[in-house]
Amino acid sequence: MTSRFPPADNRSPQWSALILAVALFLAVLIAHYATVHAQSSDQFTVYSPQTSYAVPLLDEKGQPYAGLVELLEPLGSIDAKPDGKKYKLRFTPPGGHQAEAQFTDGKDKAKIRGDNYKLPANFVLQNGRGYVPLSAVPELLTKLLATPVQLHPSARRLFIGDVPMRFTLELDKGNPPHLVASFPSPVNPSIATEPGRVRFTFRREPVVSSGHDSFTFNDPVITGAVFAEHDGLAELDVMGTASLMANFADGGRTIIVAAVPPPPAPAAPTPTPQAQVPPPAAAPQPKPPAVPRFLVLIDPAHGGADIGAAITPSLAEKDVVLALARRVQRELANRGIAAGMLRNSDVAISLDQRAVSANAARPALYVTLHAANTGRGVHVFTSMLPAVNLSREGFLPWDTAQAAFLDLSGSVAGSVAAELESRKLPNTTLVAPLRPMNNIAAPAIAVEIAPPDDNVENIAGAEYQEQVAQAIAAGIAAVRSKLPEVRP
Amino acid sequence: MTRRILVIFAMLALIAVALGFYALHLKRKVARDAQVAAEQQLAMAPPGNGPPEPVTLYVANDSDGTLRKTQITVSLPTERSERDRAVLGALLAQYLKSPSSHPIGAGADVRQVYLMGEDTAIVDTNAAFADAHPSGVLAEELTVASIVVTLNANDSKVGRVKILVNGQERDTLAGHADLRRFYEASNLGQVVKDMQ
Ligand SMILES: [Zn+2]
Repeated sequence: MTSRFPPADNRSPQWSALILAVALFLAVLIAHYATVHAQSSDQFTVYSPQTSYAVPLLDEKGQPYAGLVELLEPLGSIDAKPDGKKYKLRFTPPGGHQAEAQFTDGKDKAKIRGDNYKLPANFVLQNGRGYVPLSAVPELLTKLLATPVQLHPSARRLFIGDVPMRFTLELDKGNPPHLVASFPSPVNPSIATEPGRVRFTFRREPVVSSGHDSFTFNDPVITGAVFAEHDGLAELDVMGTASLMANFADGGRTIIVAAVPPPPAPAAPTPTPQAQVPPPAAAPQPKPPAVPRFLVLIDPAHGGADIGAAITPSLAEKDVVLALARRVQRELANRGIAAGMLRNSDVAISLDQRAVSANAARPALYVTLHAANTGRGVHVFTSMLPAVNLSREGFLPWDTAQAAFLDLSGSVAGSVAAELESRKLPNTTLVAPLRPMNNIAAPAIAVEIAPPDDNVENIAGAEYQEQVAQAIAAGIAAVRSKLPEVRP
Repeated sequence: MTRRILVIFAMLALIAVALGFYALHLKRKVARDAQVAAEQQLAMAPPGNGPPEPVTLYVANDSDGTLRKTQITVSLPTERSERDRAVLGALLAQYLKSPSSHPIGAGADVRQVYLMGEDTAIVDTNAAFADAHPSGVLAEELTVASIVVTLNANDSKVGRVKILVNGQERDTLAGHADLRRFYEASNLGQVVKDMQ
């Protein structure tokens, strides 16, 4: 230290102390910010044969903990309730047998399917929700689902059953040389390019390496590739000496990486050499036979940083509606109606993106779900379209895409309201200026649940949510024959 | 040497603590200033200078999702846009009372009403109106509808209304009600009927 800094008596000691103090203060601030930031993004991704979703992690004495309800809800039907210091849970995987489990706050002894089980750390009960250490999740799920489960702890990725997708990389030295990445089933990564590199990020697909994580190719153009998994996702970087582009083939099972071809010599408008990556949707895919089908698209509103309404200080609208959406999906399935989810985890999607995704899915019906702590019961809405004379200046069909479907939307809303009424649930049916309803090119309704009684927290109660979900599903089933099926 | 390091370390710790307190002080001062500014703004609302006259309000009710027509008597300014602003001030005052059938965030106010052309009013609200508004499809719709219908009931020329927040266009009021569009009083007439 003395060799690098001038002796202290060379300059005023107060000055160096002050400078150091400011530096220390900044360091503390940065460290604090970094901790907060790291905590807020802490989650892990679960890949099951049916779905993939993110589960937030709770930091408990430096150990990551996972919420049991968030973990199990997408995997089957779950009924969990705290009982004093105990936490009792009933879980039924689809087509499987019901399993019971019991945990105790602050204890590591638990019972699963009647057997004693020791957690690696104590169980945590917080605000009526049960949390288990992340390291216990694989064994716990194996017992509850009767399926092998694998956790990649540092990558924050959990694989249920035989889901991992192993890919292979092969360099074809043909003209031009290209790299072929093959996957066992179609993938849809996000793609980023920069000079000499293209990066594929897999969030929803359980892509894993087949043993090698880094590859070098004896090729002047495509020089190597690196696979890595971290923070609940997987990344494949392909490096080269030229600008690279990617193409999809074989219905999304194959990605081909090659150098961007040089622009044609004649005075054609100069194409930019970068960002030549076509989205997978534009890739040549064998068209599936266009059989009309009846698909309901459920859109649990909000997500990510947009928490929606703060129902209580610890209960966010985004979580209430996701739980309700999963119930509606199950109730529709019970009535033989297929339903997709616009989000099945805590992700942020913009209002415009919701409309784009919904319209691309070509559903027979779009249902968006909201929750609020004002009022009582259930509010059912259809779109409030702007008056026609307003649309004349700069008319955009986008703004009034819903107009052609308003009659059908009204029928669905009326049918859902009737089912709510028959279950004696207070309800109101109205038009609402709610985004992105006007942009939906399909019959569309919005359902907002408010608390059933004076206890606001009952909005998340299993009994109330189940009643509402059944009413929504029954209302849809009752008008199904009126709604046209759509060719995908 | 070790003694000197100890002294420097103690000084550093002291300075870090002092800086922390200073940051806290600054944060409190900013909050206090904002509150004082908000209070001043409220105090600046023009007192009605005309004779007391009847005003029709459509007051939202969260529990059943309706708008209730009520009449109160207030003194209003004579200039049209100031009258419109005072009418909306009387409406928001109903919501700011405690208890209220449709509570909205404390400090909510209308800064200005601009009249454009024959039939259009631009209602410029303050930040507290939107920032502290309860979030919800119905709650936000009730606020918007009651503003548009109340304006139209007291100034029948106003047929279209757009709501700004702090002079700026906003996407939504509090996550739900679209604030980018113009609302038509005639379009909301049916809504009010449904709500009643
Ligand atoms: Zn919402």
